[in-house]
Amino acid sequence: MAMRELERLREIPTATATTSDGNLYAGEEPFASLPGSELEHTLRPNLQGSEFLQGFRSVDQGPPQRVLSNFLHSFLHNSQGGMPFRPTSLPVLGLSEGDKQCIRDRSSIMARHLFADKSEEFIHSQVNALLSSLDIDNDIRARGPIPGRYPELEEYWNESQGMRPGPHGADGWISEFTQHQVAPDNPNMWVQSFERQHGANGWASEFEHEQSQLASIDQMRGSNMPNLAAMEQTRLLAHTLAQNKDPKFQNSKFLQFVSKMSRGEITIEDNQFKPAAFSAPGDWATEYDQQYGGGQSWADQFSNEQLSHGPHGWANEFAAERKQHGVTDNEWVNEFSKLNVNDWSEEFERQVADGTLGDASADNWANAYDEYLNEQVALKQKSETSRGLYEFSDLNPYVGHPNPLKEGQELFRKGLLSEAVLALEAEVMKNPENSEGWRLLGIAHAENDDDQQAIAAMMRAQEVDPTNLEVLLALGVSHTNELEQAAALKYLYSWLRHHPKYGTITPQDQPENLYYADVARIFNDAAKLSPDDADVHIVLGVLYNLSREYDKAIEAFQTALKLKPRDYSLWNKLGATQANSVQSADAILAYQQALDLKPNYVRAWANMGISYANQGMYEDSIRYYVRALAMNPKADNAWQYLRISLSCASRNDMLEACDSRNLDILQKEFPL
Amino acid sequence: MASSTQLKSDAIMEQMKLHLSTDAGKQLTKKIGLVYQINIAPKKLGFNDKSYVVDLKKGEVKEGTYEDGKPDATFSFTDDDFVKVSTGKMNPQIAFMRGKMKIKGSISAAQKFTPDIFPKPSKM
Repeated sequence: MAMRELERLREIPTATATTSDGNLYAGEEPFASLPGSELEHTLRPNLQGSEFLQGFRSVDQGPPQRVLSNFLHSFLHNSQGGMPFRPTSLPVLGLSEGDKQCIRDRSSIMARHLFADKSEEFIHSQVNALLSSLDIDNDIRARGPIPGRYPELEEYWNESQGMRPGPHGADGWISEFTQHQVAPDNPNMWVQSFERQHGANGWASEFEHEQSQLASIDQMRGSNMPNLAAMEQTRLLAHTLAQNKDPKFQNSKFLQFVSKMSRGEITIEDNQFKPAAFSAPGDWATEYDQQYGGGQSWADQFSNEQLSHGPHGWANEFAAERKQHGVTDNEWVNEFSKLNVNDWSEEFERQVADGTLGDASADNWANAYDEYLNEQVALKQKSETSRGLYEFSDLNPYVGHPNPLKEGQELFRKGLLSEAVLALEAEVMKNPENSEGWRLLGIAHAENDDDQQAIAAMMRAQEVDPTNLEVLLALGVSHTNELEQAAALKYLYSWLRHHPKYGTITPQDQPENLYYADVARIFNDAAKLSPDDADVHIVLGVLYNLSREYDKAIEAFQTALKLKPRDYSLWNKLGATQANSVQSADAILAYQQALDLKPNYVRAWANMGISYANQGMYEDSIRYYVRALAMNPKADNAWQYLRISLSCASRNDMLEACDSRNLDILQKEFPL
Repeated sequence: MASSTQLKSDAIMEQMKLHLSTDAGKQLTKKIGLVYQINIAPKKLGFNDKSYVVDLKKGEVKEGTYEDGKPDATFSFTDDDFVKVSTGKMNPQIAFMRGKMKIKGSISAAQKFTPDIFPKPSKM
């Protein structure tokens, strides 16, 4: 390359970090900032930043590029003929570790597609021949960036993107692919290898390097969610590709796949890379995204191809894709010359100085994974109830009991809620038309802090006995707890309509859309009609909770409590209302009243925990959550809240016990 | 007030508004010091959004979009997913990964958006 050209290149922010293995560029410091090498390092933001800035100043990508390009071309040509590849000796190319990894990774994936009809052995020998010529160790797996603990997450991730193990049952391929998928830099590397093989235009490929560099660091900031930025790229890609009028391309599975993937998916718009920094705003960013998106798409496309058709379809897609690139490449060069380089580096310095990469991000990621697993477990457990179906426990010892209803009532009275649930389940399995069985089951679940199951049971009770006032009120309360306003309003209105005393003041035809104000007015009339009926005050209190008129709600419950001072659930309702209107200290007193009357009232224990947590007293809240969970280990809300409190109280040492739901450890650690 | 247009998230935002006036809420403001805008869609992301500004600089919650400049981060959720995230049922990072939460703005600000910010609703 001519000196003049080299000098021009020096003025450009390229990030090629070609480490010299000896001769060509001796004296240059080896860089770690090449895309593909980030994950070999621990995440040190500042270091990363300075390496990046150094990368700005380093420019060398001359003859070796061309040699490599020719070499890879010959590999491809050879391959098309299905001939074994014969290694040739090459001049020292001065490939960096990152380069090597890139080539290694790409070739093995590429080879599997080129030789889809060949045996694994053949593929291996082809790749090995290629790699040994380039003096690259074939140890893909050893360098895999993924710690072993995320395999399930990856599996899920792949699944969510419509990837299924391919027809060849190529598990090895899938897991390899997964590595590529997760490593944030790899999409760029596709583009790089691509450029090396096909892009004779030095400008374009230098620029490409630059982009990869920026993108990698961009993704580093969100390193705990490496796939996310890629999703946005996919979206942009889908958009771009959709504009290609070629009907063959329009019908391609690839496009369908990409657009399906992008529909309703993540976007991340990082306004720190806003196009305003350049003299040609907008265009540049769009093109960058297209280009980068194209890179990502390769990985996607491979997975797609694995599913659908063989190497020929792949070649077609490739050509279509190439067309897109061909156009943008030229425009890139134009846009590129307009770039204001200083803005770039300043942006970077600022961002790195911001410490956008928290030390905790790796932890967060690991935690997120744990929580994800919990979530999956919970989803499995809740899959039925979320659709309003009651879910029965396995292995119920009360099945076959001569009188499970009586047993259930007895257990409920003793406050053994979880046992009562089992007995009552046995009852309703035996007599599905027993509304009292379902009702009490619903109440037991509500007191056990499980509104989903409570609603499911109460709905069965209501099916059998549509006008039962207790059932209607319970449904109104549970739906209020679940913040389901319309449903709650419907049941509270039904309560009024079916009440022997108040039915007469209620319009008989239930309107399609209930208006809160109308319902509230009728209830107030009812309360005036019989001020000594505790129930109407209770419903009124629930209704005011719905409209978040907490003062009125508190007043209504207090009135009811004067009439029914030993109603523990009423004390809890008062407490919950006070808590939700940030009178946590009062709430705790009310909950205490409830617990004095009913010591095994799981909901009140859990509510205690919430009140302490909302006051920032996390250590205290933990003890109450643990207590609630000791009585009902199925109270999912309490588990979730416990987890938050443990984090906030800096008791991360107990998170594992929480995630594994190990109550022995938790109770020992947090006695009440 | 038409019941059909109510969001579940309204209740949480209302509680948040009250929460920020308490000592715990003031500590939160001090600790975070960022402005979030949260767009909540009744059913489908990006459709009929209702915006809230959770201003953890001034310690207030307001309906509508942020008008004093740019929020540090803007999130978009559906109503159900916002409830899940704010009550700790779903981790924000998981939500993000699954496309259930969109983020605009700085990632570092977004990372401070955790379930412990919001007060938990108590149950009757």
